[in-house]
Amino acid sequence: MSRRRAPSHSFRLSKRNRNFLVVASALALSILFCCTATYRSGTWLADAFRDRPDESSPAGPAWSADSADLTIAASPLMAPVLSQLAGRFNALDEKTPDGRAMTVSIIAVNPEKMVVESLGSPPFQAISPDSSLWLDQLEQRWTDAGIAQVTNSVIPLGQSRTSGQVRYAVSPVVIAAWEDVARDLGWPDQAVGWQDIQQIATSDAGFKWNHSSTNTASGLLATLAEFYAGAGLVRGLTAEAATAQSTLDYVRAVEATIRFYGEGEEVIVERLAAEGRNFLDAFVGQERVVIDWNRTHPDQRLIAIYPAEGTLWTDHPLALLELGANAAELPVTDNQRLTYRAFAQFLTGRESQLSLLAAGYRPADLDIPLDGPDSPFASTDAVDWREPQTTLQMPPANVINVVLDAWRYTKRPTNVYLVVDTSGSMEGEKIRRTREALAAFVEQVQGDRDRVGIVEFASSVKSFVPLSTLDETSRYDMLDVIDNMDAMGGTALIDAVYAAVEDLQSQRDDQAINAVVVMTDGLDNDSRRTLNELARLLETRDDSPVVLFTIAFGSDADDTLLNRMADAGNGQFRRADETDIEELYRIISTYF
Amino acid sequence: MSRTRWIFLGIIVFAVVIVAASILLSRQSNEPGGAALTVERPDALTIRVLTALPVEPWVRSAADAFNAGDYTVDGVPIEVEISAVDGLTALGRWDRNDYGALPADVRPEDLTEAERAALADFPTAWIPDSRYLVELANASYKERLGRDVFLTDGEYRARPIAISLFAWGLYESRASVLEDKFGAINWSSIHDAATARGGWPELGGEPSWGFFKLVVPNPSKNVGGLAAMIAMAGEYYDRTNISVEDIADPQFQAWLRELMGAVTDFSSASAYTAEDFALFGYSVGDGGQLLESDLLQNMQGIRTRWEDPLRIYYPDYVTWFDFPFSVWVGPETTALQKNAALEFQRFLLSDDQQKAALAFGLRPANPNIAVDAVENSLFAQWQDQGVQTVVPRTTAMRSPDRDVLLTLLRWFELNVAQ
Repeated sequence: MSRRRAPSHSFRLSKRNRNFLVVASALALSILFCCTATYRSGTWLADAFRDRPDESSPAGPAWSADSADLTIAASPLMAPVLSQLAGRFNALDEKTPDGRAMTVSIIAVNPEKMVVESLGSPPFQAISPDSSLWLDQLEQRWTDAGIAQVTNSVIPLGQSRTSGQVRYAVSPVVIAAWEDVARDLGWPDQAVGWQDIQQIATSDAGFKWNHSSTNTASGLLATLAEFYAGAGLVRGLTAEAATAQSTLDYVRAVEATIRFYGEGEEVIVERLAAEGRNFLDAFVGQERVVIDWNRTHPDQRLIAIYPAEGTLWTDHPLALLELGANAAELPVTDNQRLTYRAFAQFLTGRESQLSLLAAGYRPADLDIPLDGPDSPFASTDAVDWREPQTTLQMPPANVINVVLDAWRYTKRPTNVYLVVDTSGSMEGEKIRRTREALAAFVEQVQGDRDRVGIVEFASSVKSFVPLSTLDETSRYDMLDVIDNMDAMGGTALIDAVYAAVEDLQSQRDDQAINAVVVMTDGLDNDSRRTLNELARLLETRDDSPVVLFTIAFGSDADDTLLNRMADAGNGQFRRADETDIEELYRIISTYF
Repeated sequence: MSRTRWIFLGIIVFAVVIVAASILLSRQSNEPGGAALTVERPDALTIRVLTALPVEPWVRSAADAFNAGDYTVDGVPIEVEISAVDGLTALGRWDRNDYGALPADVRPEDLTEAERAALADFPTAWIPDSRYLVELANASYKERLGRDVFLTDGEYRARPIAISLFAWGLYESRASVLEDKFGAINWSSIHDAATARGGWPELGGEPSWGFFKLVVPNPSKNVGGLAAMIAMAGEYYDRTNISVEDIADPQFQAWLRELMGAVTDFSSASAYTAEDFALFGYSVGDGGQLLESDLLQNMQGIRTRWEDPLRIYYPDYVTWFDFPFSVWVGPETTALQKNAALEFQRFLLSDDQQKAALAFGLRPANPNIAVDAVENSLFAQWQDQGVQTVVPRTTAMRSPDRDVLLTLLRWFELNVAQ
């Protein structure tokens, strides 16, 4: 008997309906899986994006997050030596743990500029100025700028802009004098000091000496020594003592004897080599410069005089910049830190230390004797490794700032004409960059004793702004003239320079540095005057000589003419392009 | 198979593929560094040890030997990484919480992956110059977390790994002149030398030496500078315990200012003042009270560079540094890391390493090791220059409290640094 299951209407589905239910269930399951997957994928994507560093391009210099390339800004005198050592380091082909090659490159940067750039977003990650005092300046300005995070720490230590400092070589600052000059001063039998040099410079108009601008350690030290002498102190210089009228009068009298300022010892040495014995009698520089000069000029020796009142050491620190605090700057990468450490270790290694000794520096490695057989300190009396016996006291950073400010008002004043080519060929980027460079030059002129004038020329002199001190109104007027410069016409270079020189000579200001800075990008094709006439004009007044700095802007300038012009004006010829014209004007400004 | 079943199968396969892809993506996101603090057993363990500058060369060389020695904790190889930091600078960083200790109510497992990764650099241990720095760091964290972060008892307590004291180091040519003039070298005679208006000629020395130049480390860069100022105060008041009121006394401040006025340069980049002392010689400093181990490490360099050796004298009031190895006990580091730190601590206290410390001018913390136990001990090498293996009976200065320390620092900033 067949049994029939009792129909159950409530639970029994048709085949069609059953299939529908299966499909619906599968669909629901799929949707559930998809939702889960979507959520997890979404979470992963969100995490991935959250963890990823901000890849928006910084406004400043950029390097990849795993870069092991380290750029070090070094003071100009040390940069060539450091570049050689960096080359040797790079040849070692050291690698970071993730396989990136550690490479070091060196760029020469003036210490003062190094400090300024380090406050912003610099194109380098480490610095090596000639003295630790620049690091102090940097830290002070960093703190003053208030960029570092300030917390409520009860320990009054700020967040530094630099870290990992090492010192790899030192050199005392000396007065470098020709041997006969040194003997006349009493060397080697008696102590010679800053005051002896200052005395002879103020009493003997024929004595020519120089210290570089205060943007190098040696220039700053020479200036400090003047302020100490003026205040009658050898330690404890205060802001009050530095700005006392008697101190300022003394410094002003000494500074009036300076032939010119300039970029640093390396340029002085270049000019000694080019112009010979009569260029200067003495200058302030690192001991290393004396060793280097005597090596190549054994018949015309320089003597290092260690000033009796005391001197200062250039101590060549190497420091890593703690970048990343400024808005648009990248932090130093872990690999760059590794490169920094490796290079610092390399520099303080024995082989590098011996190289630095050979270059005339005193190595930081105290196990290396200075009087060893291969040492440049051995078998010479031009330098003495037992010296200096004493140093001047280094004032705190705020007093140094006061000295720097006071120096700008006591240094030898300057009358300078900026002679500017605005012929048709200067159109476009050239004239734009020139305007910026001139404006920067005018902006940085400080004090009430320097006078600036402008001669704008093309086929003839377009505008002639006579010399004037730069108060607020005259500075504004001058910037307005610069802003309105237009490029058109031919090139009457010599006529324009002649006009500037003639006006300077008519001032008969023999207390000031009289200079013309002339810039052109083309050939002289419109002048009525000749180079010989200009040279004769320059020779006419020996008591207030005019120095000519000539700049060839771009590749079409007449280098020969500009060189001869600079020679006639006892100055310098330089080349520039759109990228460095502003920097060149800044460098030239250090001569005044 | 019917069309419906094909559709059903297709949907299932589709779902499985999506889930598999999801799991794969999820795994990728978790791979390196994920859940760092809850990893049960890593393949290798790195511990970071902040180390005071005077012991850093020894500790680093010990770390190299340790890392080469296949040391493990629970079978996991240990790698020790040394970071040299001046004690006061480290204290400032702890105080500002620069290292990123977690707030009291946050657990490591609550952190994002990036936050956990940031903790990978957290120091496992700290070797400051002196135990009072540990106490100051603890005080700071007690305010923040309500507990100590470095222990003074128990298994993880801070243990001294070596000791050194502050001693006078003077260039021999200058020291003999001062001894002839004053008889003894102490803060009083140094003060008189520093304030001699006629400089060295007045004291009986050479005119070329200029004025007497005192060496004191910059207190804001080197804890040794603070120790020197505390020693000055101790001798001025003829007692070991210095208070804020003592520092605030105008007469003491005037005396202190005169002494500090004889320092040539506080702007030096280096915190290693004994190195400066050697590198720039008598031109920058005739003498000063510095850590014995720093002086000993530079004795040979000074003789090589300047041909005028250093003479060592021991003061009546002595400041000791004991370099306590202090393990961080917070949740930022794992138990395994803490135990690895203890393993390294034991290594430093081993006889071999304690003997090795002698070559760095450090006195062993292990009393079983004599200071002249090995041939290359600097204590044996420089006995002729006044170094004593047993420190003569002197009075130890008490550790300054936080307020004294801050008052001195502030006084320095206002009166000397600016």
